Amino acid sequence: MSVDPTSVAPLAVTFEALTEPAFWIGVGVIAGIYTLLALGLQVNVGFTGIVNFGQAAFMAVGAYAMAILTVKAEINFWLALPLAVLITIAFGLLVGLPALRLRADYFAIATIAMAEVVRIFAQNARGLTGGNQGISCAEDDPTLCYFNEWREASDWINDNLVFFWSDPEDLFPLLLVVWATAIAATFALTYFTNTPWGRVLRAVREDEDAAMALGKRTLRFKLQSLALSATLGAIGGFFFALNLAAVYPINFEPLVTFFAFSVLILGGLANYKGVAVGAILFWFVLEGTRFIDLPDPPFTETRIAALRLAITGLLLIGLMAFRPQGLFGKKEEMVLGE
Amino acid sequence: MSSPAAKSAPAQARNGALLDVDGVFKHFGGIQAVNGATFGIAPGSITALIGPNGAGKTTLFNVVTGFYKGDRGAVTFDGNSIFRHAPYEIAQRGMVRTFQITKSLAAMPVIDNMMLAAPDQPGERFMNLIVRPGAVRSRESEVREQSMELLEVFNLTQLANAYAGTLSGGQRKLLELARALMARPKLLLLDEPMAGINPTLGKRLLEHMQRLRKEQGVTFLFIEHDMEVVMNHSDRVVVMAEGAVIAEGEPHEVRGDQRVIDAYLGETQEDSTT
Ligand SMILES: Nc1ncnc2c1ncn2[C@@H]1O[C@H](COP(=O)(O)OP(=O)(O)OP(=O)(O)O)[C@@H](O)[C@H]1O
Ligand SMILES: [Mg+2]
Repeated sequence: MSVDPTSVAPLAVTFEALTEPAFWIGVGVIAGIYTLLALGLQVNVGFTGIVNFGQAAFMAVGAYAMAILTVKAEINFWLALPLAVLITIAFGLLVGLPALRLRADYFAIATIAMAEVVRIFAQNARGLTGGNQGISCAEDDPTLCYFNEWREASDWINDNLVFFWSDPEDLFPLLLVVWATAIAATFALTYFTNTPWGRVLRAVREDEDAAMALGKRTLRFKLQSLALSATLGAIGGFFFALNLAAVYPINFEPLVTFFAFSVLILGGLANYKGVAVGAILFWFVLEGTRFIDLPDPPFTETRIAALRLAITGLLLIGLMAFRPQGLFGKKEEMVLGE
Repeated sequence: MSSPAAKSAPAQARNGALLDVDGVFKHFGGIQAVNGATFGIAPGSITALIGPNGAGKTTLFNVVTGFYKGDRGAVTFDGNSIFRHAPYEIAQRGMVRTFQITKSLAAMPVIDNMMLAAPDQPGERFMNLIVRPGAVRSRESEVREQSMELLEVFNLTQLANAYAGTLSGGQRKLLELARALMARPKLLLLDEPMAGINPTLGKRLLEHMQRLRKEQGVTFLFIEHDMEVVMNHSDRVVVMAEGAVIAEGEPHEVRGDQRVIDAYLGETQEDSTT
């Protein structure tokens, strides 16, 4: 756990698990969630030129808002989802309004700080968030849990839609829904980016002054870009929470954002289809290296865990050496962007 | 001493001026970059802004277009005060500028650079992409056509789909000018538009400016160091030195002004005119 707090709780760490479908379904769920997170980063970094290091905060606000609304305010789960998205967008705009006036590099630092403030707040505001114990079910009613409605829907999907698998895994519906969302988001973002609106975003990325000199109210476009990534972050946060059956502060460490950035860089900047490919590659390498079977002394479990991260890191470095633009990025754009 | 023209010109131009700059100040630390600059631009005119390096010409452009917040003074454009207003708002009102150091949107194709500048594109509002996709598309094809026409004028048709960052320095300068025209400005502020452009194309550019002025009533204010261009292609000249306007008038008046000769043109210019 010290290595990646993001790894899926239901996953067993034993090597036998590697041949089980449940393991790979879990990896697929995580890859889909990271696709959503990195799509948000792609809108910001790849298309608007604003470096957002706070994606974990959007996830956290989305996930906590959903859990608190359902468990504490006892609002219906399906109503809580859009409300939590709106809360996350409002939070994003609140942070963006002052921070986006900063220079790009200061904005990046401000977003890291914001994400840590959110996480540390969640750790300490025990009455609201349950502190380090997290939030899952109501204290006075253990049957009132935020994921109840999802469990029902999930069972329904397995019973009615998964006709090709006689005994599907519990996590399978989540995999389907996560990827349906990720694919829909990929198409929607591709569409929006190829519009006049998307053209202004790219102009802001290239040179904000030039865009302003042509009458574009750039702050507004940057805020919209941030609102989009907040939406995607919140949705990623929901799926994260449904996957874990509890929302813990530790799920939202800065490492989550940095993994999402790795996915982004792997897939390539300024294109959307690379994001899913990058996410799958990243998580299948990181989780697949659990196959590494080395004699226990000297290879303890923690050492192997560190080794896996090192291997993933080397893969990224190797890719950067041979394909600095990422798998789907355009080299010309990268050089011209200087 | 200032010539009679320099004294009478401001009052004359400032009645019904399209742009009126009145006692504008801007300092950076201890440097008084713009020091009470005052002048007016008549609608439909082509005015050259000249002065030695560091005179504050670019800074004045930046204050007038909202990129720098002026310390004090007044700037009126088309009857409205625009002093310390936001750059996008000033541009939307019809005052569009180019930059001394060209700002091409490098990783965007030339055609996208052009289309970006078009005003009144409903598709720049996110909601309209969903509720009015038809209006967005039809405006888009209109804008594309206008862009291609303008690129033709500037000899850039072949490069329409190239990344702007791959263009030569001179071509970028042309693109920036063409892009500014796409915004359908009332007043165009050009910061050294001829610098780095070959004379033949430069001449074409100047002719195009004349045509735009005649056909569409576009007004021009351009910073220029080439005195031949200034003398032959502007109707009025504003001379700045040390942040202030030291002379203003028709080209021949300004050329004979002793203060202008002292501050800017120097002895060689005097020799060449005799
Ligand atoms: N952003 C800035 N920060 C500090 N000083 C500045 C800034 N911009 C301009 N200056 C100073 O203001 C003065 C006027 O500069 P400006 O660029 O306006 O001159 P200019 O007339 O355009 O000269 P040139 O003909 O060389 O382009 C200079 O002394 C310059 O150093
Ligand atoms: Mg200058």
